Amino acid sequence: MRLLMTATQIRGLPVVTVRGGEDVAEVRDVIYSPGAGRLVGLTLNKRGFFAGRSRDVLSAEAIHAVGQHAVMVLDESSIVTPEDASDEVGHPATERNVLGDDVLTEGGSSLGKVADLVLLVGSSGEVVGYQIDKAGGGRGYIPLPAQLSVSGDALVVPNITEEFVQDDLVGLGASVDEFRARLGLS
Amino acid sequence: MSHLLVDAQQRRIDAVVVGRGKKAQLVDWAQLSGFGPDAVMVVDEGVLRPPADDRERAAAEGKLELVGKRALSEGGNELGELDDVTFDADSGVLEELLIGVRRVPAGSLLGSGSYAAILDQSQEPSP
Repeated sequence: MRLLMTATQIRGLPVVTVRGGEDVAEVRDVIYSPGAGRLVGLTLNKRGFFAGRSRDVLSAEAIHAVGQHAVMVLDESSIVTPEDASDEVGHPATERNVLGDDVLTEGGSSLGKVADLVLLVGSSGEVVGYQIDKAGGGRGYIPLPAQLSVSGDALVVPNITEEFVQDDLVGLGASVDEFRARLGLS
Repeated sequence: MSHLLVDAQQRRIDAVVVGRGKKAQLVDWAQLSGFGPDAVMVVDEGVLRPPADDRERAAAEGKLELVGKRALSEGGNELGELDDVTFDADSGVLEELLIGVRRVPAGSLLGSGSYAAILDQSQEPSP
């Protein structure tokens, strides 16, 4: 059983230092790499009196943990300017946005369009699934392999994904391990 | 006395804040001659000193008070509110943190600041 949350739930969370207990920023958005199957970083807003858009970013490697109530970093030095971050975090490619992209099985069936990313709570940003607007209508959740093929505006998933479409996050949490075991990934 | 200034990494009380706001002063724990249920005793007024840095100024303003603080796990999940702390009155070393009905060993405290007290992963409820 895994505890999961969506990228939408991460937006607006405080970024808190483990060593200092201070809220040093707030999550504005996630920077996602479908090929790597994980967040590569977060864009940030300022907190408190000077609240508003911040230039600074947080690389996934500097994330201690993504939780349900806060994104944890060891200390304030984890937050850097775009110039001090890797290119994929400091200057992310706009075509990286997968929301609205088609999810196709290798056999050519469309499962729907990506509505949100699903992350593993407690990790530093591992994306284990998507929330999708199903081709036949309604919302669903699909597990992902650790890495994903991207083809134009379509994300290509293994054929067995069709058997693992879930109605809610709890169902997805229970199925991720079995899905990856079936693919021989864990 | 209004606040305790805690060194979360050392898990001990550094100083006691006396008074509030701009008039607040500190007494280092080592300078206390007694700590009882009704009063904190000092040898004379000479041990009172003004805040020396940003951390101590934040403590004087009450921002770093541990009791009443949100408790967060290092995994980023809320554990409740820190209702009270117990400590050794001689050394100032923290012993336990009380979060609701839970008694957490002070060794689990990783950090503490104006936003939250951070506890290690062993305090995380299992999903």
